[in-house]
Amino acid sequence: MKISTPNCDNCVFTEELGRDFNIRQKSQGLAASIKNFIRPSYKLVEAVRSLSMRIGFGEIVGFLGPNGAGKTTTLKMLSGLLFPSRGKLEVLGHSPFSREREFLSQISLVMGQKQNLWWDLPPIETFEIHRSIYNLDEKDFKGRIEELIDMLEISDCLETQTRKLSLGQRMRCELAVSLLHRPKVLFLDEPTIGLDILMQKKIRKFLLDYHARFKPTILLTSHYMDDVAALAKRVIVINNGLKIYDGLLSDLTEKMRPEKIITVILNSETFPKIEIPNVNIVSQESNLFRLKAPRENVGKLAAALYNTGLTIDLTIEDTPLEDIIGNLFTEKSNFQQFRTNV
Amino acid sequence: MLHLKAHAAILKAYLKIMLTYRGMMILHLFRVVLMPLVIATAWLSIEKADGNPYENSDYLLYYLLVPLVMNLTNSRSVFRFPVSVRDGTLSRELIKPYPPLMNIVIESFTNNLQMLLYLVPFTLISVFVFQSHFDFSFLNYKLVPISILAIFFGALTRLLISGSIALTGFWLEDVTTLNLLLNGSIWALLGGMIIPVATFPEKIRQIAELLPYRYMLSFPIEIFSGRLTTLAIYKGFAVMFFWIIIFSFTARFIWKRGIKIYSAYGG
Repeated sequence: MKISTPNCDNCVFTEELGRDFNIRQKSQGLAASIKNFIRPSYKLVEAVRSLSMRIGFGEIVGFLGPNGAGKTTTLKMLSGLLFPSRGKLEVLGHSPFSREREFLSQISLVMGQKQNLWWDLPPIETFEIHRSIYNLDEKDFKGRIEELIDMLEISDCLETQTRKLSLGQRMRCELAVSLLHRPKVLFLDEPTIGLDILMQKKIRKFLLDYHARFKPTILLTSHYMDDVAALAKRVIVINNGLKIYDGLLSDLTEKMRPEKIITVILNSETFPKIEIPNVNIVSQESNLFRLKAPRENVGKLAAALYNTGLTIDLTIEDTPLEDIIGNLFTEKSNFQQFRTNV
Repeated sequence: MLHLKAHAAILKAYLKIMLTYRGMMILHLFRVVLMPLVIATAWLSIEKADGNPYENSDYLLYYLLVPLVMNLTNSRSVFRFPVSVRDGTLSRELIKPYPPLMNIVIESFTNNLQMLLYLVPFTLISVFVFQSHFDFSFLNYKLVPISILAIFFGALTRLLISGSIALTGFWLEDVTTLNLLLNGSIWALLGGMIIPVATFPEKIRQIAELLPYRYMLSFPIEIFSGRLTTLAIYKGFAVMFFWIIIFSFTARFIWKRGIKIYSAYGG
C-alpha cells in the first residue's frame, strides 16, 4: 500500500481506510449444498467502508460501535494483521502491513487471553521468550518485569502452567507480556471481556496507572462502557464501517443523554405533586421511585423533593452509557437523530 | 544473527513442552519405526528378481536407516499452519518482530530432535542384535559427513515442499488431501520408503532421480551405504539444490499472495 505523505504529528493516521471480505454463502439443505458445490456464491462484506482518523501520541481513544461495526477489523489493520482493501494507513510513521521489525517492536495487540502467552508453559517462561524475541537487555527486562508483577499483582501465578490459570490471572499475565517491550502503541480489543467487576476495575486502574507513567497511545474497543468511560476521553463511534462520531466522550454523553436518573426513597407510597416540567416516573417499587428529568431541571427537582419533607434518600445518576450506545444503534430513528446532532 | 537468541529460546520452550507429553512421544516412535520394519520384513521374505542389486543384508541396513533419516527430514508444518490460519492463531506470530513461520519450523525440528532420543538407541541396539546379518563391506566412513549434509538439504527440501503445501491453507480449508497426494503417497513410492530407489526399474529410477522425493529419504542412505559414485553424489546434490530453489520461490510466492487475503478470524 502506498503512503503519500509521512505523518510525523500523528501516531495513527488513516484516510478512507477500508477492508472487504468475500464471504461464501450457503443456504440450508442438501440441494443448496450441491448447488453451492457446483457454483459457489460469495457475498462481499464491507467490514470497514471508509475510515479517516488521526490520533496523536499518548492519546487514549475508545472505539465504540455495535457488533460487526468494524472495530476489530480496524485494529487488525492498524496492527498489520490485515491488508487493507483501500485507503491510506500509517502507524508510527510505518505502513503496518509491511511488518517491519522496527514497527512491530513498538506495538502490542491484546485480543483475549491467549494472544501472547504460551498455553503449555508458565507465564514466566513466556516472559523469557518475549525478552529474546524483542531483544531486551537483561537489566531492563528484570526491572520491567518486577514493575509489571507489582502493578498487576501476578507474583502468585508466574510459575503455574498458563492453561491452569483463572481468566483474570491470564488476562493480567497477558497484559504483562504485551507491555514488556514497553510499546508506544497499544491496541486493546475487549481487554476486560469475561472478567468479574472487581477484576475489570483492577485492569482499568492498571491501564490508567501505566498510561500515566509511560504515556503510550492506546486504542481500545470494549463492550463494557465503564472501560471506555474510565480510560478514554476521546471516542470514535463507528457503525457499518463508517465513522459517525469522533470527539470527546463527555460531548457525546451530553448530546445523547440529556436526562438524568433520580432514585428517591420517600416515607410515603404516593408520589407528591411537584410542578417541574418533563419529569417522568420510570418505575415504582413500594416507596422507591425512579424518575427521569432533563439535566437543567435536576437541581430544582431535588430541592423540591427535599422541601416536601417526605424524602429519606435521594441519588442522581447519568443514564448508563451502555443504554445510550445500545439505543443509538438499535433504532434507526435514534441513529439518524444522533447523526443530525453530531 | 538477529533472531538467534529467539530461535534458541523457542527451541528450549518446545523441548520443555514435549517433555511434558511423554505418551505422545512413544506413539510417534511406533509410527516411525513400525512401517519400515513391516516393509523390511516383506522384502526379506520374498524372492528377489534377477538384476536386483540389493541382497538381504542391504535391505536390512537400508530399512534400519529409513526411520532415522525419515525422522530427520520430516516436517510437520503442513499440519500446524493451516490450523493457525483457520483459527486465527497465526495473528499471534504476525504481531511479533520475529519470522512468523519460524515458530512452526522450530516446533517441527524439536519434534524430530526429540525422536532421536528413541531412534538412536533403537538403531544401535538393532545393529548389535543383527550384526551377523549385515554386510558392512560397502561402508566408507569418510562419506558420513556427506550423508549428514544430504540429510540437512533433504530436510530443507521436504520443509519447503511441505511449507508450500501448508501455505495453500490460506485458500483451502483442508490441505491434508493435497499433502497426501504430493507429499505422502508419491514420497513413499518415489522417495524410497516402499522400495529402495536403487532397485527401481531403470526408467523409473531415472525419473525418481530427477524428482525431489528421493533426496528426502533414499539419497542420504545411498551415500552412507557407499552405493553411489562421486559423480552420482554431485549430480544428486545439484538436483536437490534445483528443487530447493524452485520451492523457495514457490513458498515465497504463495506466502505473499496468501497473507493479503488472510482474514485473521478468531485468534
